[in-house]
Amino acid sequence: MSALLLMAPALLLLLAVFVWPLLDYAWLSLQAQSVFTGLQPEPVGLANWQRLLADGRFWQDAGQTLRFAVVSVGLELVLGLGFALLLHQRWRGRGVVRTLTLLPWALPTTVMALGWRWIFNDPNGPINALLQSLGLASVPFLASPQLAWQTTVLADVWKTTPFVALLLLAGLQMIPADLYEAFALEGGSPWQSLWRVTLPLLRPYIFIVLLFRLAQALGVFDLVVVLTGGGPASSTESLAVYAYLNAMRFLDFGYSATVMLGMFVLLLISSAGLLLLQRRVQVRA
Amino acid sequence: MTTPTTISTTTAAAPASLRLENLGRRIGDRAILDGVNLAVAPGECLALLGPSGCGKSTVLRLIAGLDAPDAGRILLDGDDITERPPARRQVAMVFQSYALYPHLSVARNLSLGMEVRGVPRGERDREVATVLQLLQLAEMGQRRPAELSGGQRQRVALARALLRRPRVFLLDEPMSNLDAQLREELRPQLRAILCGGSAPVVYVTHDQQEAMGIADRIAVLQDGRVQQCGTPQELYQAPANLIVAGFIGRPQINLLPQPDGTVLGLRPEHLVAVTEGGLPVRVLSREWHGASQQLLVASPQGELRWTCAGNLSIGAELRLGWAREHEHRFVQTTGQRC
Repeated sequence: MSALLLMAPALLLLLAVFVWPLLDYAWLSLQAQSVFTGLQPEPVGLANWQRLLADGRFWQDAGQTLRFAVVSVGLELVLGLGFALLLHQRWRGRGVVRTLTLLPWALPTTVMALGWRWIFNDPNGPINALLQSLGLASVPFLASPQLAWQTTVLADVWKTTPFVALLLLAGLQMIPADLYEAFALEGGSPWQSLWRVTLPLLRPYIFIVLLFRLAQALGVFDLVVVLTGGGPASSTESLAVYAYLNAMRFLDFGYSATVMLGMFVLLLISSAGLLLLQRRVQVRA
Repeated sequence: MTTPTTISTTTAAAPASLRLENLGRRIGDRAILDGVNLAVAPGECLALLGPSGCGKSTVLRLIAGLDAPDAGRILLDGDDITERPPARRQVAMVFQSYALYPHLSVARNLSLGMEVRGVPRGERDREVATVLQLLQLAEMGQRRPAELSGGQRQRVALARALLRRPRVFLLDEPMSNLDAQLREELRPQLRAILCGGSAPVVYVTHDQQEAMGIADRIAVLQDGRVQQCGTPQELYQAPANLIVAGFIGRPQINLLPQPDGTVLGLRPEHLVAVTEGGLPVRVLSREWHGASQQLLVASPQGELRWTCAGNLSIGAELRLGWAREHEHRFVQTTGQRC
């Protein structure tokens, strides 16, 4: 009884900020609430959910969101690990570089996205100006569907690699130096020590990074809205952007809630998958 | 390794001897080590003894190649290995923290080194099984280091060092994380396993009792210099200076400044009650140790420590004398024996 009492504040907080909004959305997803109903909720049963399953744009966006998340988080992990290893070494000027590395992450996403939009502007941005001065044709970075999603990934990687590097650097600092020394004395090369000592001991931190970053990337919103607006032809549209459009542009709140919940399910599945993977890896190691 | 009881395979094929020549290391303006000369014969166990910060761990790290000296040479079997990277020195080190890989089982902790050196799997498994048997760890192979007791961890670290087949064994305070009783139990075991092979052993400790118990010779280090190097008996019977005199022997030696500019050193166990002559003393405090009692007595020359077999109470007055051969004399200004 006293245990419940002691947990009560935390439980109440969870209920207020997590369970209650979720239930509210679940209820809203069972209503029609749009311009056609005079913005008043009307129960429609599972109609919104049936629409969702048949909605090509939802599935296209789900695919795009997933691709964006996997590719950008993958790149961030590899680059972030590289930076973390570099910043973990002792060298002159390391402190300054550590601070500089963090700058992109400290920048508000909107500001950063505006910056990239200018850099990749066709034909007036600096990159295209450079290409033109070299006598090359300018590239429609944000106007071609293929290039636009790659540009979005680039901007996200640029901004969040420092965050990944920071978390992994913290992990590296938790590994006692004498493990590396013992390994070196046993004849291990630095490359072997990365695979045999560093990475296995960094595993918990890598999972934390993946969990944080996947959840964030699957909910990507501001970067897309500012950089491409979801275009061209919805080719960079994420689920969060689609949910936003449903609510704020199409004024279809019931369906927007359904899209949001669909996205939530996607997030839940990927997080659960990751946690299962972590457990299996731990058991095997 | 053919049978679990042989220890011949735990050492390198060719006998090795270790020689440190004029070794120096500085950090900034501070000299950590200053002109250290030491030699360790094959199979000999040398203890580096000194207070914390005296540079004894630095000596080990220089031999292992984990730090580089600013001056001097390290010779192993005549080869100059001063510039050689740690991976190619073929030395084994038991770390104070044991430095076991926390993510690997005991068996994998032991085989990892052989894996990276390209030893085939079958041979690895055989060697690990043998050394686990030798160190009474046979049941522990599948456990993680976190699931072992301190003593077991220490033995795993030792097993890993044995499997390296090193040309030198280095041990950095290997007992300091164990309780006193276990330490005493393990000392003879450690000696049996490490010493008497064909590899020299360098053993770092700040505990003089441990050093005397385990080592063939002891080098007392202070302020980055070797103060004296010799057998435990030599260090006890003829300490070269006041530092060594104060460090070897428990309870600590009594040092009495004399009017002629010397310091008279008298060990507490060499004082005896006499009826005539000697110093008049009065008992100030006592600790009873069973076989003897440890007394602090006041004399005209200052307070003295006295190890006494009898049973005296506080306030008792008597006279203390000593045999001439037990007198140690040092120059007051330099601290050197005279």
